[in-house]
Amino acid sequence: MIKENNIKLIFLSLSLLLIILIFFFPFFWIITSSFKSPEEIIATSTTIIPRSFTLEHYNKILFNSDFFIYLKNSLIVSFSSMIISIILSVSAAYGLHKLKFYGNKFVEYSLLVTYAFPGVILLVPIYLLFAKVNLLNSYFALIIVNVLFATPFAVWMLKAFFKLIPDEIEEAAYIDGASRYIVISKIIVPLATPGIASVSIFCFIISWTEYLFASILISGDDLKTLPVGLAGIVGQYQIDWGFLLSGAVLASLPVILLFVFIGKYFVSGLTEGAVK
Amino acid sequence: MKKNNIEGWLFVSPLIIWISLIILAPIYIAFELSLFNVKIIGTSGKFVGIENYIKLFGKSKFVNASLNSLYWIIGNAICQTFFAFTIALTINYKFPGKKIMANWIILSFIIPTVVVVVIWKLMLSSSSGVINSVLIDIGILDEATGFFSSPNKAFISLVLINSWRWSPFLALIILSGLNSINREMYDASKVDGANFVQQFLFITFPNLKSVLFVLGLVGTLLSFNIFDIIWLITKGGPSSATTTLPLLIYETAFTKFRISQAATLSIVTSFLLLLFSIIFIKSMAPKEDD
Repeated sequence: MIKENNIKLIFLSLSLLLIILIFFFPFFWIITSSFKSPEEIIATSTTIIPRSFTLEHYNKILFNSDFFIYLKNSLIVSFSSMIISIILSVSAAYGLHKLKFYGNKFVEYSLLVTYAFPGVILLVPIYLLFAKVNLLNSYFALIIVNVLFATPFAVWMLKAFFKLIPDEIEEAAYIDGASRYIVISKIIVPLATPGIASVSIFCFIISWTEYLFASILISGDDLKTLPVGLAGIVGQYQIDWGFLLSGAVLASLPVILLFVFIGKYFVSGLTEGAVK
Repeated sequence: MKKNNIEGWLFVSPLIIWISLIILAPIYIAFELSLFNVKIIGTSGKFVGIENYIKLFGKSKFVNASLNSLYWIIGNAICQTFFAFTIALTINYKFPGKKIMANWIILSFIIPTVVVVVIWKLMLSSSSGVINSVLIDIGILDEATGFFSSPNKAFISLVLINSWRWSPFLALIILSGLNSINREMYDASKVDGANFVQQFLFITFPNLKSVLFVLGLVGTLLSFNIFDIIWLITKGGPSSATTTLPLLIYETAFTKFRISQAATLSIVTSFLLLLFSIIFIKSMAPKEDD
């Protein structure tokens, strides 16, 4: 027994070490590197503890680039996509969960298939469709696509959260004469707040990280999102690493901040019932 | 009952209309385009029937990209299964810092893919990358290697980078499956003298069947779909070794401007994926227990 526990302990420590090294160290590396002098970033000998400290890269990206334009675009697109996604998926998830209507199983399976539907296949035809109806180069073009990618999984997660709300609470409200609208806005939504929070994060992340459609549907510099702006620097022949790294850190910051506040709902939402 | 039907559809219809409009209208347009010979967007071409389809199957580029996509899916499945299970089984134990790790392991999934690209381009850089210098320091390499310079190395590096992004997310979903397994089964098996390898094979794994089914289906389609990581790092090279079907579609449409060909590719690809999904569901769907 003791021997087996020792083996377990060794395995556990080893895999913990491996996980930290593989999944956390890269973040330490780019964050510290973004404060290093340009010479140290591209130096061939590597030092784990940085030798230099400079704010010049951040200075350059904040005050000498289009960063704030891209940031504004990303924020507008991501927040709008998130809000529309939440409204549509709360409504759909409630309908699927509470009202066992004819064809509900079909809708559910179709949503699951849509979740995995490869976006690339839609790229060319969506481009043509949007060109026809004059939607290219608009926030709305990106919002339409982001909502499409975010909602199927959002409905799936929300349904699991709605299941946790006891039916009796809702029935009691109906007996008291409450309408469907009152029940949803005053009972269901408040009780499902952790679920809605985690689904919101998911929708925000999907929109915040989207690159492919943003790079094709938007051509004007004033409407580009952060990932597309950053990718422009990655593609350059001579990469300015300090500039790129500070941009990468800043582009990740908003989702990370969001995650600090509601991340635990997201993770518990995923691990405690989203798949059941 | 009837009231439920109308009300139910009312609740679902805004989303359903949104999704079907944005999926079905483009697919119709793509199908129409695939029957014509349109090159540059906005111009019109002549009707060619199924000629585009016949030509496609004779093209070595299409065959090459299909094979690459197949290797890409298999490689990612193996790597991600390994990483995701390692993470999930580790986090499932109690240790100090478990909560923080469970919350933040997903960091690689929430940052933009472009940032993933930046991270690994820097870490794997041949001139100043930290991976190269560590591998030289511990004696595995004699001199710095270009991780994206040869076809095989580029392909493997990309599979690992993509797995790095997705495994933590998959691990959390596996964890949800692990949480639903009755603890008593482990205790009972211990009384019977089972070790932890046997526990994994005979309790953990069979109980994860339905989670693994969803992951197998959704995961395969999602990895097939990966575009930005490959495009931003190798652009499909060297010598088309990392050109998967999504990259081929993109290239055909937006760098070669052969819109009809790209539409044909999209239709054929959708058909292949649909076929895969049906076969997968028919043969692997777990029997309902309840």
